[in-house]
Amino acid sequence: MAMATSTFSPRPATLNKPLRAGIQLHLIPFPHLRAGRLVCATAAGEAPPVEVEQRDEAEPAPAAASNGAAVKAEAPAAKTEPPPAPAPVPAFRDDRWVNGTWDLTKFDKGGVVDWDAVIDAEARRRKWLEDYPEATNTDEAVVFDTSIIPWWAWMKRFHLPEAEKLNGRAAMVGFFMAYFVDSLTGVGLVDQMGNFFCKTLLFVAVAGVLLIRKNEDIESLKKLIDETTFYDKQWQATWQDDSTAGPKN
Amino acid sequence: MTSLSSAVALPSSCRARPAGGSRRARMVVTAAASSPKLPNGRRLRVAVVGGGPAGGAAAEALAKGGVETVLIERKMDNCKPCGGAIPLCMVSEFDLPLDLVDRKVRKMKMISPSNVAVDIGRTLAPHEYIGMVRREVLDAYLRSRAQSAGAEVVNGLFLRYEAPKEPNGSYVVHYNHYDSSSSNGKIGGEKRSFEVDAIVGADGANSRVAKDMGAGDYEYAIAFQERVKIPDDKMVYYEERAEMYVGDDVSPDFYGWVFPKCDHVAVGTGTVTHKADIKKFQAATRLRAKDKIEGGKIIRVEAHPIPEHPRPKRVSGRVTLVGDAAGYVTKCSGEGIYFAAKSGRMCAEAIVAGSANGTRMVEESDLRKYLAEFDRLYWPTYKVLDILQKVFYRSNAAREAFVEMCADDYVQKMTFDSYLYKRVVPGNPLDDIKLAVNTIGSLVRATALRREMEKVTL
Repeated sequence: MAMATSTFSPRPATLNKPLRAGIQLHLIPFPHLRAGRLVCATAAGEAPPVEVEQRDEAEPAPAAASNGAAVKAEAPAAKTEPPPAPAPVPAFRDDRWVNGTWDLTKFDKGGVVDWDAVIDAEARRRKWLEDYPEATNTDEAVVFDTSIIPWWAWMKRFHLPEAEKLNGRAAMVGFFMAYFVDSLTGVGLVDQMGNFFCKTLLFVAVAGVLLIRKNEDIESLKKLIDETTFYDKQWQATWQDDSTAGPKN
Repeated sequence: MTSLSSAVALPSSCRARPAGGSRRARMVVTAAASSPKLPNGRRLRVAVVGGGPAGGAAAEALAKGGVETVLIERKMDNCKPCGGAIPLCMVSEFDLPLDLVDRKVRKMKMISPSNVAVDIGRTLAPHEYIGMVRREVLDAYLRSRAQSAGAEVVNGLFLRYEAPKEPNGSYVVHYNHYDSSSSNGKIGGEKRSFEVDAIVGADGANSRVAKDMGAGDYEYAIAFQERVKIPDDKMVYYEERAEMYVGDDVSPDFYGWVFPKCDHVAVGTGTVTHKADIKKFQAATRLRAKDKIEGGKIIRVEAHPIPEHPRPKRVSGRVTLVGDAAGYVTKCSGEGIYFAAKSGRMCAEAIVAGSANGTRMVEESDLRKYLAEFDRLYWPTYKVLDILQKVFYRSNAAREAFVEMCADDYVQKMTFDSYLYKRVVPGNPLDDIKLAVNTIGSLVRATALRREMEKVTL
């Protein structure tokens, strides 16, 4: 539930991250990344530490092992200008990614599956594919479904910290307001809870803490309300004009 | 809600009814006693501008109803750039011969941004399919049917119309007439004009009729498509299968597709908000399907605007819009052929009924009855697809959740039912609740993963 709000808040249309495939040639730490991954994979069988340092060294390795070679199915006399030939993009590879899904036996931690590691691995895979989109492969279809990760693993990792934060805020606000109202009116906490106005304030406070986490959320909520009715308004536009008088022009 | 489907069937019964003075049709259209009988016993004359599915269906229904109809089409062999998918109900409702359907798609593959592939179509009955047609074939067929029903089909380019000077006067339609020898619609043409009582604008997304009547603009998507002839062994994969790719790389607000056509595939994508990047999106679509279309030759490149919502004004006086010209394309899937043909037919039936089979003058109120009926019948479909687009095409996380949801049988059944038969049938409430819970679960998980993704640096 903690996440649901942000799902529905409209994303800003900042689609200016360019198609990574090949355009950011200088950012691909191809050989270093591979080396690093091999080392760590053999060492611990866990997700390798991410490498940030070697980005400036650009050595596009031969495209032999990757499937990102720039062979496009295009007629030579292309009617459209051919897109910039992408540099060889590294395909996603991970020891634990087998046959289009995560092999849960590789995430073993003392007899039980380490779901946190599965979540991390999947996040990394999605990030990789978002930055370097790959061709789909019917032989090795991706079939991983996130519902395989049990609900309590998600809850423990994502919901609980957020819930703790929100409850903390609510408690702080609540305590201060109770004290403030008591000092102004002399009405104690128990009597405050019986009062309708105070109950309303409490409701508003809880709703506010749940819905508005950042300043931007206020704008997002307003936009959301507009969005839900916008399409309806477009459809009803033709019924708005009253003129049944003669046609224009 | 099954009454919606029976309401879908009613227009044909409406057509069969005999003429008479003023009688009530099921659509509650009464030839107004105030609308005058046409002088000298002449029949109502209507111009249908545009000979696509909307125009063809409208002209046929008008001609069958006893209205004198002229259908103006600028290019008789036009290959309109189009996905070409028609739902099952269109084949039955419009009595389309089965040889019009090049391919019957029974399997669809939905592919998420991280290439999670889900097959949908398990729940389809053997007789159910999505029909793939070539627009030039379908359009020509509907026009020929209109012609056999009595409509006059004219090859010409509509230029403009003039509104009548007095209340029951005639509209004057000006067009460039092309004689039969230059049917490609480009060369020369002789300016002609004629008078009609009403005009049906079926001339597509860039409608001139809409411009003349001041209908207003709509937001539109650009759909860009390449027709690729792929080797036969690769074509086998697409025998009965269409693919849909979602992802920010392929389109920020729509999807990329590979649809099978008669002997080639159409690879394309579309966007509303980032039209300038369409070529990049197309390259990304080709990349995602790379192995499956490798070795293919591009035989045609085409693009066309697709309206996103209806125009602010769909009727003005005795001029009305149908099909793409009116903006009847659904969100999420971008489907327009069926709604074009259906709206054309419904508009024609409203005119036929309002004019008592062509004997009386029609009024704007008769045309508004068509709008009211169309909106009533299909509003749930449009709204549901709008909600789906808003929720699931928002971001890569939402798209991942979308593809995950599509793996569910109940979702597939509901989706296909509503697509193939154009009815929004509420299913079993318990299943609906389960579906809602699963949807929220998928979205929550995908968003949570998104947060983790932001922390990852590759």
